[in-house]
Amino acid sequence: MKIDINYIARVEGESSVKLEIEGGKLKELRLNIWEPPRFFEGFLVGRKFDEVPDIVARICGICPVSHMTTAIRAMENAFGFKPSTEVKKIRKILALSQILSSHLAHLYIFALPDFFKLNSVVEMLPRYEKEIKRFLRLKDAANSITSLFGGRALHPVSMVVGGFTKLPSKADTEKAAKELESLHEDALETLKMASELKCPALENDAEFVALTGKGEYAINGGIISSTKGLNIKEHEYPSYFIEDEVPYSNAKRTVIKDRGSLMAGALARINLGFDNLLPDAKKASEDIGFKGGGNPFLNNLAQAVEIVHAFQECAILLRGLTLKEYFADFKVREGVGSALTEAPRGMLYHYYEIDRSGIITKANIVTPTAHNFLNLEESLKKLVTENIDKPEDELILMCEMLVRAYDPCFSCSVH
Amino acid sequence: MGCSYFFAYVHKHVPEVLASFDFVFIKMLSRKGIPDGPFDIALVEGTITEAWQADELKIIRGQSKKLFAIGSCAVIGGIPAIKATAPELEVEKRVYKNLSSIHSIKPHAVDAYVKVDGYIRGCPPAERDLYEALTSVLTGRKPDFPQHSVCIECKLKGNLCVLIADNMPCMGPVTNAGCGALCPSMNRACYSCFGPMKQANGPALAKKFKAMGISRDDIIRKFTEFGADTIEFRKAVEMVYED
Repeated sequence: MKIDINYIARVEGESSVKLEIEGGKLKELRLNIWEPPRFFEGFLVGRKFDEVPDIVARICGICPVSHMTTAIRAMENAFGFKPSTEVKKIRKILALSQILSSHLAHLYIFALPDFFKLNSVVEMLPRYEKEIKRFLRLKDAANSITSLFGGRALHPVSMVVGGFTKLPSKADTEKAAKELESLHEDALETLKMASELKCPALENDAEFVALTGKGEYAINGGIISSTKGLNIKEHEYPSYFIEDEVPYSNAKRTVIKDRGSLMAGALARINLGFDNLLPDAKKASEDIGFKGGGNPFLNNLAQAVEIVHAFQECAILLRGLTLKEYFADFKVREGVGSALTEAPRGMLYHYYEIDRSGIITKANIVTPTAHNFLNLEESLKKLVTENIDKPEDELILMCEMLVRAYDPCFSCSVH
Repeated sequence: MGCSYFFAYVHKHVPEVLASFDFVFIKMLSRKGIPDGPFDIALVEGTITEAWQADELKIIRGQSKKLFAIGSCAVIGGIPAIKATAPELEVEKRVYKNLSSIHSIKPHAVDAYVKVDGYIRGCPPAERDLYEALTSVLTGRKPDFPQHSVCIECKLKGNLCVLIADNMPCMGPVTNAGCGALCPSMNRACYSCFGPMKQANGPALAKKFKAMGISRDDIIRKFTEFGADTIEFRKAVEMVYED
């Protein structure tokens, strides 16, 4: 029996899952990411370093801040420039606001309808009006933080190499902090809701990989750590991670050299950075008996924990801003620069070679979904094998739910 | 690439929109599958980069009373159109070793293939223009989209001109309004993410940039970041090459 799941809705981008069952056994399964390529790495060559953040922002309509920040950090590394503490704080605020936007949309719009046996969030009205209203409140607050600093919530314009072009006033940042603090209960409710979603059991022996920091829930840079003992610096990335083309997919696939597949994203961050969560988020998570785990479906819950954490850390960072030293001049020089950040969906890598007039001569971008590609495929195989007797409809929905739980961005993965 | 996700950003008017429209197809929102036409409105996002997309677009056009292009990719070709500023095979080779399964065609805006009833410009698209498109259909009138330049928005806001006063290479004079003069208001030059205003005088601005001491290649890059596939900006690039 051949099953072709060629309509995978409620994810970003285009993909299909093709599988073949023979004699009660899974014979073959392929995740085909057929999102048409746009060739960002190809046409970035010849562009100037200061255009790159605005260009790479357009890789994604969900995580532009991540692509911009990663590119900016890579350029700064190439130029040997170190941004001020204030700039780092603001970049983290923006990153957290985007993690919030992305996780909220994923949990409420992409993932949730499955658990209510509905096709879409629109069908959740009017019965789940309370949940939708909560989502809109939280999403609005997250968007307003991105636009407070970036000028607009999508494709912000103030982020440049060296810092920011303009900052809001102290009165505005204080007001924003207050607004975020007032949403703590809504964030906790979201976590409660996520903890009540019944997920299929699924073992997963993946190597979870995320950036970690000392005493900090790492987002923009850190040590590349894994649950199987990886512990390396950002610039060592290319010696450990191998990206390769896949004949049936437009997205490339990344593995850890001599080890195999990996899983990045919220669950990886929780598995590796649980102790660095803010006390309230940690406690709320422990209260529902969650401290991480292997089942990829737990990624939904991990995102909910991060929502509680991110609202709070954003508010703390906002309160601590001086709003001074937000830009410093730098010298353009020939060089090579790379950087990693934790995008909402996991570890994101940018690499650039730059000539002495600041023109890009080589670019490489590896997105969270490229990191997760092989593991998602392996998880799908396991899920189908363990549920092989289920009716076709049910099996298809389970596969889709698993794809959605990974929160892939297929557009990003092809780019 | 996220223009349908843009609905998650304009949710302030979601109840009103839902009261007036049935969303029959947004893959990002619903698992319902692909419906049969006819449709009252089609909002088309994205640059056309593979032949099957053009085929599908023509089918959608045939089934839709009104078709709007939404977002700079669909309206003007946008960022993906940068690809065609270099020999395309060369660009593709930089990304893939094996090109046998890559079927990309020259990137174009939606109106290279079908008639378009209106343009919701911008990257991200202007919220106001999206509502304007929807309400124009509801009320049966022609949509009223801004057709002036970003300069006018700066004047209305009382911004100091970053081109004249700060010597920044601002694309505002040739860029279609709709963003509310966002970049100049944030102390930086407009980079034309809304694309050219209709009949903008690209060559005149390119000359101004040259007089400001900006290099030929930098001027070309300004006009090819978002507008590589537009006549207005191509004219500026040609002028710079001939000069």
